[in-house]
Amino acid sequence: MNLFNFMRRASSAPVARERLQILLEYERRMVSKSDLVAVLRQEILAVISRHVAVDPDKVQVKIDRGSCVSLLEVDVEFPNSSAARA
Amino acid sequence: MSGVARAQRAMRFRGRSYMAFVLTPEPPLADWLRELDERIGNSAGYFVGRPVVVDLSAVALSGAGIAHLVSELSSRDIRVMGLEGADPATLPPGLPPVLTGGRAASPTEPARQPAPAKAEAPRVASLLLDSPVRSGQSVIFPDGDVTVLGSIASGAEVLAGGSIHVYGALRGRALAGTHGNPSARIFCSRIEAELLAIDGYYRTADELDASLLGRRAQAWLADNALMIAALD
Amino acid sequence: MGKVLVVTSGKGGVGKTTSTAALGAALAQGGQSTVVVDFDVGLRNLDLVMGAERRVVYDLINVTQGVIKLPQALIRDKRLENLFLLPASQTRDKDALTEDGVARVIAELREKFAWVICDSPAGIERGATLAMRNADAAIIVTNPEVSSVRDSDRIIGLLDSKTVKAEQGERIEKHLLIARYDAARAARGEMLSIEDVLEILSIPLLGIVPESQEVLRASNIGSPVTISSTASAPARAYQAAARRLCGEDIEMTIPSERKSLLGRLLGRRAA
Repeated sequence: MNLFNFMRRASSAPVARERLQILLEYERRMVSKSDLVAVLRQEILAVISRHVAVDPDKVQVKIDRGSCVSLLEVDVEFPNSSAARA
Repeated sequence: MSGVARAQRAMRFRGRSYMAFVLTPEPPLADWLRELDERIGNSAGYFVGRPVVVDLSAVALSGAGIAHLVSELSSRDIRVMGLEGADPATLPPGLPPVLTGGRAASPTEPARQPAPAKAEAPRVASLLLDSPVRSGQSVIFPDGDVTVLGSIASGAEVLAGGSIHVYGALRGRALAGTHGNPSARIFCSRIEAELLAIDGYYRTADELDASLLGRRAQAWLADNALMIAALD
Repeated sequence: MGKVLVVTSGKGGVGKTTSTAALGAALAQGGQSTVVVDFDVGLRNLDLVMGAERRVVYDLINVTQGVIKLPQALIRDKRLENLFLLPASQTRDKDALTEDGVARVIAELREKFAWVICDSPAGIERGATLAMRNADAAIIVTNPEVSSVRDSDRIIGLLDSKTVKAEQGERIEKHLLIARYDAARAARGEMLSIEDVLEILSIPLLGIVPESQEVLRASNIGSPVTISSTASAPARAYQAAARRLCGEDIEMTIPSERKSLLGRLLGRRAA
């Protein structure tokens, strides 16, 4: 009986690994779909880049969720010389 | 004799209380601001130079909303020096600090009167806490002595106008005599304090004599120097 | 009317989720209808520890926002019919939880279950204060280690100010659960003793859960330790704690692993 216990004890890690693989694959898909802030940021960055050369790190998008109304805050920094087209 | 006088620190910390006006905005904010404008219109310069605290407990504003309100008030020459009823964690930087522990007081008449330096009322008030003071808690009692039936935890602080008596371990900060009372003392069953101060003269944990740690002790002020000795 | 417990600690990684699952299962095993609620929005773990991660369809935020009704979100445990789980959302963040929404859901759960156990996230911000807000009693999980003890003290202070009970001038019940206790290390003076922790925190002791490999194994296979290895030392500690919560007066002991024959042969030390 103790030999059984020993072997059962050793096998819980593969169970964990399998559970995690299935779960994380699903969750990665879910998270990328619904991360509004990330999606907005990508799209805003794309739009601005079409007109002005901008450093991706200098584009910040935040959502401040209030109880009835949420506030979208967009912060973009670009150097004066990069305002290429009028 | 252990715990004898050390060189005096150059810096003193003091407590002082001022009276502030509390504005309590109520929703809808636009209407409240309009009413405020009407009042200011009637007595121009009413708030100029007066410390104002904004009580946010009647409105549900986000961090950005609060910042917007403060700038709206500032554009009306109202200097907000503190906020009440807001969660400091949600506030953007650059806003006035969140205050707690304000006591109601009747405001003086609109005609500006200098706040008179009141003669000290006879100090009979004293505060008894029958449970430990927990990490992060701050007890402020300018009117007299504070007695704690329990410990003051590391990361907690007690500020008293009078003396502080701790029937337990003092692991946090104890500041006595905060309103200019050099005869205040600090007593505790076990001294492991982070900071002790009497009337602004302070000593930190680093400067506590190692032989005192964990013993019953008292602290008092003698010739503008903070003395600490065991009470065994 | 059920009783609402919050399992909290301040510090992360001390055993809140493990304890919520283990205590919830122990209470259910004792015949009491129990629901465990995950308040760690965005980083949910309770569903994983309960082994229900593939059955989560709706979560606490769906319910607080009125998108679906509470029974649709509740997941019944496959092993214990008295035990239910209300999972947290994985894709939203804590700001989506509102005080009113949480109060309504807790009130509804209180009517349906004898025990409502709220698994708090770590920290002292909104997630943690929301989890404790409507509680009747708190279980403060602490490891015998300095940061954990100080963080627990902070949380105890918050329990006396950020809860509805405190605001109404009532004292919220507090129970200390010491987890990951290692008797050998404590004896060698390498670890804070039970007495040390009790002296600093000054709240009644609910139980002492010893460090054990059974806890990791239980979480690997997705089962509360009180279900997967009922005879193990941590399981017995949780069972005793659950009975104390129900008012039974059980002597406080520190359970240790019974040495298996193989363990004795190999000279393995008790966990």
